[in-house]
Amino acid sequence: MANFILRKAESKDVSDILRLIKELAKYEEMEEQVVLTEKDLLEDGFGDHPFYHCFVAEVPKDQQSSEGYTVVGFAMYYFTYDPWIGKLLYLEDFYVMEEFRGFGIGSQILKVLSETAVKTRCSSMHFIVAENNTQSIDFYKRRGASDLSLEEGWRLFAIQKEELLKITAK
Amino acid sequence: MEYKLRKAEPKDVSDILRLVKELAKYEAMEHQVALTEKELLEDGFGDTPLYHCILAEVQGEQSGEDPKVIGFAMYYFTYDPWSGKQLHLEDFFVMEEYRGHGIGSEILKQLSDLAMKTRCHGMQFIVAEDNEPSISFYKRRGAEDLSTAEGWRLFRFTENSLYKMAASTEE
Repeated sequence: MANFILRKAESKDVSDILRLIKELAKYEEMEEQVVLTEKDLLEDGFGDHPFYHCFVAEVPKDQQSSEGYTVVGFAMYYFTYDPWIGKLLYLEDFYVMEEFRGFGIGSQILKVLSETAVKTRCSSMHFIVAENNTQSIDFYKRRGASDLSLEEGWRLFAIQKEELLKITAK
Repeated sequence: MEYKLRKAEPKDVSDILRLVKELAKYEAMEHQVALTEKELLEDGFGDTPLYHCILAEVQGEQSGEDPKVIGFAMYYFTYDPWSGKQLHLEDFFVMEEYRGHGIGSEILKQLSDLAMKTRCHGMQFIVAEDNEPSISFYKRRGAEDLSTAEGWRLFRFTENSLYKMAASTEE
């Protein structure tokens, strides 16, 4: 196998995007946390103000997955802002279906993301990885990524909706 | 103490940069601030703002003096593929001599209001593990440490690595 293309996601891709989001969540053992719907993805990604952008990897029909899918990988990203250095590209989700790994699809996706970051004058690309995901950590470190949680002690915090509502009611 | 909270305007970029540097100094990383007022202006007040700011302002000490900006929060919207829109709180700081008057709480309340109004599913932010006063401040208000609870670590590719990957012709 070797034939694949990378392209910008279109509105028709939301069902594949959701499927791959769920597969990645399952890989991270958090599948039950995915509450997003295709409708949300459509409005939020392909409306007047997109909140995210996606690249998808597609194979020809004759190389489709065992379940008949031709969209076999994706990367979801958006732009953030670091008050020390400015615009950043934030890689939110990045996944290639298991049966299509080892063919350079992931590397190619990362290359296109890097080109995008450079073209759009981003100073850096940031992303979050689970500490037990050693395969992904190696993949990124081989390409020059550094672990800022380790080097600079940053931790990710969240205030969920129920708690936000409590704060607004005070 | 009397203060008011308002949306930042283009004229505020100099105060925003000053407070960004004060917060970086508090985190012992002041030398890492490379951003300029010009960039803050273009990036925050152009056609597509990359960030938004709420400012806290007090009256000048003497009559006739301009109000003084003594605190700020910088935020933008991100996307969680599991639940959708999130508010990301990037920087949040009140000058030392103005703490203890509820300004930080009020800023967080406004941000929470905004998150709800804009249909966000949550607010996320990054804290340095040794910043105990801030960690307590957030935990008292219901924040969870996802790095501890779920093992997430923040990674980065710097410009050099990006250039290398963009230019590469092989795996």
